[in-house]
Amino acid sequence: MNVPARRGSRLGATTVRFTFDGREYRGQAGDTAASALLANGVRLFGRSIKYRRPRGLFAAGPEEPCALLSVGAAGDVIPNVPAPQLALRDGLVCWSQNRWPTLALDLAALLQAGAGLLGAGFYYKTFMWPSWRSYEPMIRNLAGLGRAPRACELPPVSTEHLCCDVLVAGAGPAGLAAGLAAARAGARVVLCEREPVCGGELDFEGGTIGALAAADWVRTTLAELAARGARVLTDTAVVGGSGGLVIAHAEPGGVAGANAIYRIRPREFVIATGAVERPIAFADNDRPGVMLLGAAERFLARYGAHAGRELVLFANHDRAYAAAARLRAGGMRVRAIIDCRTEAEFGASGTAVSLRDQFRRDGTECLPGHALLAAEGGRGVRAAVIAPLAAADARRTIACDTILVSGGWTPLLHASLHEGGAPRYAPELGAFVAGAEPDWRRSAGAANGALELNNALADGWAAGARAARRAGASGDAGVAPAGRGDDAPRLVPFCRSPARRVDERRQFVDLQNDVTVADLRSALTEGFQDIEHVKRYTTLGVGTEQGRTSGVLGAAIVAELRGVTPAAVGTSRLRQPYQPVTMRSLAGDRVGAALRPARRTPLHDWHLAHGGVLEPMGLWLRPRYYRASGADAHAAAIAEALRVRTTGGILDGSTLGKIEVAGADAAAFLDRMYLTRASTIRTGRSRYMVNLREDGMVLDDGLVLRLAPERYLATTGSGHATHVLSHFEHYRDTEWSGRAITLTDVTEAWAVIVVAGPQSRAGLGQVLGAGWQQALARIAHMEFVAGDFAGAGLTVLRASFSGELAFELHCRPSLAVPLWQALVDVGLPPYGLEALDILRVEKGYLVGSELNGETTPMDLHLGLASLGNACVGHELLDRPAFHEPARRCLIGIRASDGCAKFLAGAQLVTADAQTRPCGYVTSSVYSPTLGEWIGLALVARRTAIEGTVLTACDPLRGGNTTVRLVPPVHVDPDGLRMRA
Amino acid sequence: MTRLVCPFCGARELGEFEFRKTLPEPGGTPFAQVYERIERPALSVEHWQHVEGCRGWLLVHRNPSTGDVLGTELLGGGPL
Repeated sequence: MNVPARRGSRLGATTVRFTFDGREYRGQAGDTAASALLANGVRLFGRSIKYRRPRGLFAAGPEEPCALLSVGAAGDVIPNVPAPQLALRDGLVCWSQNRWPTLALDLAALLQAGAGLLGAGFYYKTFMWPSWRSYEPMIRNLAGLGRAPRACELPPVSTEHLCCDVLVAGAGPAGLAAGLAAARAGARVVLCEREPVCGGELDFEGGTIGALAAADWVRTTLAELAARGARVLTDTAVVGGSGGLVIAHAEPGGVAGANAIYRIRPREFVIATGAVERPIAFADNDRPGVMLLGAAERFLARYGAHAGRELVLFANHDRAYAAAARLRAGGMRVRAIIDCRTEAEFGASGTAVSLRDQFRRDGTECLPGHALLAAEGGRGVRAAVIAPLAAADARRTIACDTILVSGGWTPLLHASLHEGGAPRYAPELGAFVAGAEPDWRRSAGAANGALELNNALADGWAAGARAARRAGASGDAGVAPAGRGDDAPRLVPFCRSPARRVDERRQFVDLQNDVTVADLRSALTEGFQDIEHVKRYTTLGVGTEQGRTSGVLGAAIVAELRGVTPAAVGTSRLRQPYQPVTMRSLAGDRVGAALRPARRTPLHDWHLAHGGVLEPMGLWLRPRYYRASGADAHAAAIAEALRVRTTGGILDGSTLGKIEVAGADAAAFLDRMYLTRASTIRTGRSRYMVNLREDGMVLDDGLVLRLAPERYLATTGSGHATHVLSHFEHYRDTEWSGRAITLTDVTEAWAVIVVAGPQSRAGLGQVLGAGWQQALARIAHMEFVAGDFAGAGLTVLRASFSGELAFELHCRPSLAVPLWQALVDVGLPPYGLEALDILRVEKGYLVGSELNGETTPMDLHLGLASLGNACVGHELLDRPAFHEPARRCLIGIRASDGCAKFLAGAQLVTADAQTRPCGYVTSSVYSPTLGEWIGLALVARRTAIEGTVLTACDPLRGGNTTVRLVPPVHVDPDGLRMRA
Repeated sequence: MTRLVCPFCGARELGEFEFRKTLPEPGGTPFAQVYERIERPALSVEHWQHVEGCRGWLLVHRNPSTGDVLGTELLGGGPL
């Protein structure tokens, strides 16, 4: 069949094919799924979340509560896309939601039979025996909007950072005026418009601005903005932000397009997001065929799609008459205009009066003082039930296929209320506007309650000029153009038609969540008076619609039921984002490898080339083990550790944090930073030192080298350098400011190679050559020698984290690979972190598992706390709780049965019948030296007696193991090996 | 705008700075200095570091109930 092409301001001529629920339809370029399906005569778009009632199109924007579609082929579907926001493209596949097996025949719709029973809290009140949990899975399966995609491969979303003087959200008349005024004054302007086209409602309301027709003014304004360097972002909605950062989301063509996230930092922010039409509640106001009046106008003007053939309008303001005239001119038949205002409220002059006279002459029933009580019809409206407000029993029906409703406009306050703030009730609007706003932000136009064109232009212009001035632009913005459009609405607030109690169950307030007037009444009866409580009890205004059509309506009905003013009820908090944003957009380009930076040591490529298995450690990538060492991680680690104990091995220690501390006051400063004194370290020596936080807990540990009388190198745990540096800088710049201390992070300036094992000295001597022999033979434990190797500086420090004779080589990064390779070539193979962990647990050395922010130096037997050095944190070490018998302290543990295994994280309880908890395992390894599992633990002081037998409980990973407490140093307690 | 004015770098976005602590009332015991923090809804005096800039430490006067920054100044004696 050849349907004549529709004409609309956004339509092109090309035909576009798409499928909905498996059936193919045709639309035109520029269509949305909503307009194309509407033009194809589709009325049924989905079913409701709770009652599975048939639902149609209700709105023409992101506020659409019902017509939410799933887009894409099965299994790769993006759910909950409002049909009016889904741009049509060739081959688009979309589906209705909340129905099974098909939209027309939905088995769960049988729930409707019990619709009267399903009030707020129904499930929780009903399914109580034996417990809610036994019903929950079944009910959850029926609940929810759409289905989450199982797999969804979409390209990453770009993130753009923008700075500007004035950001304007919304490019309707007020937003364009604000942007133009600011740009003329010389400000750098960015405009965000969520629609693909600027101009707001001017495309169907028409009117004139200055000397131009509205549409021409929009065109010339956009041209001037472009000429003045303003950036206009269409298809881009301001979705949220905080602290002056505004987040906008570009979604051209709806989902799965070339999305972008804009992070905008404006000096000034003008919010001209307009207002959204709100409905009036009446019985069965959710039937397909009930639509917002403005939505019908949009579908007609933009897409040439008719909301229906026979219309009944229901409104409380003058604008309904102008709208009716335009719909009639578009080819629809207006059967009746039901106006709930009395004849006196309607007035005797104005455009609406003459329009009404004309409608009456043409046979349209215009009924003031009437209300539309109910819609008749199941899957589509067949008639409207009306009655005079003064005599609600005198009801009669008017046949129609579409009911268009308009109860006024709700300013869109999301951008101003996302960060809090109290909206103010404006009785003339029957809605809320932004209350006090910070200086840098202003609402303007319909978002500020200025609904008439001329007022909106003036308001927007003033806001734009003010913003430009405040942002420092000195040009003259000139004056706002005069606008002539639709008359003032002269609205009389009206939120719902009269209804018997039983019919309140069919007066829907929130169509998306199936919240009715009866639910609101039930919430109030049950004591939920505050609007936030009502929201949570009934789910009013939750979900993708976020109260745009239901929020103010709900507040007004709650006010009516409570017998107070809407101002006293207020409105619930609006939450970010303004409209749904896919997770991939929120992630932006920070996915996969771009999620966070990776730090690589100078030996990274060598490790990769030689079978190193890398693992992230903080931002660093470090080798866990080398494949050549063993069949799997465990075997490789054991082989590598044994090799260090018997011959020797080398470890990439470049990740070691290194901070150079220099200056005349460096020694005194470090005395304050560490538990033991740095000032007593002799030049050329190092000392194991511990820092405390101000609350007395251990922050970090490491070796401090005295390079020169006024120069130290403080080493920190891998990945702790930034934090420790910040800690140092804080005290340098606060408590000890004005002293001569410089702090430099030199972590990446020095590569570090650890050479450990009985043959380390010999191997190192071979590599470094004759010039170093004497130094290597001479340096004592904890001493270092700085010298020269291959024309570059090399520091050799004799220190051990393995318990073996060991040296740390600090060299220029470019020297790392040749030095490393030379060491490998003389028979010192590399070992990884797993082997390192075995070696250090065998020796009872500490890492982050023990320095976990909950341990004091006394807990760790650091034996340094009694030295009386007045360092940061020492004053709080005397707190009584730190010395109680229940305080946990470090101790070693071993499995009582030689081959039993236990893991870090296992809880330790007494082995008697009482099984009192007394601590936990912090580290555990299999010790190849001892041939059994060993570990470190934090155990209550009163229990931490060597020889005590405890149970390590690990129910999720293998059950209970009997362990006994031993000294924390498992191997070579006297340190003879490392002092060899 | 929630920006902090760094005396070295100028007005910068909040994300470049890192909060360290709210200053306690002066003159208390060491324990009070660490643990007894009194919430002052109208004026909080805080230490922030410009970690993604010059690493300078700032004394920030802030109104926590509105989020307004009332003033920033350099802590201590400045760079050496």
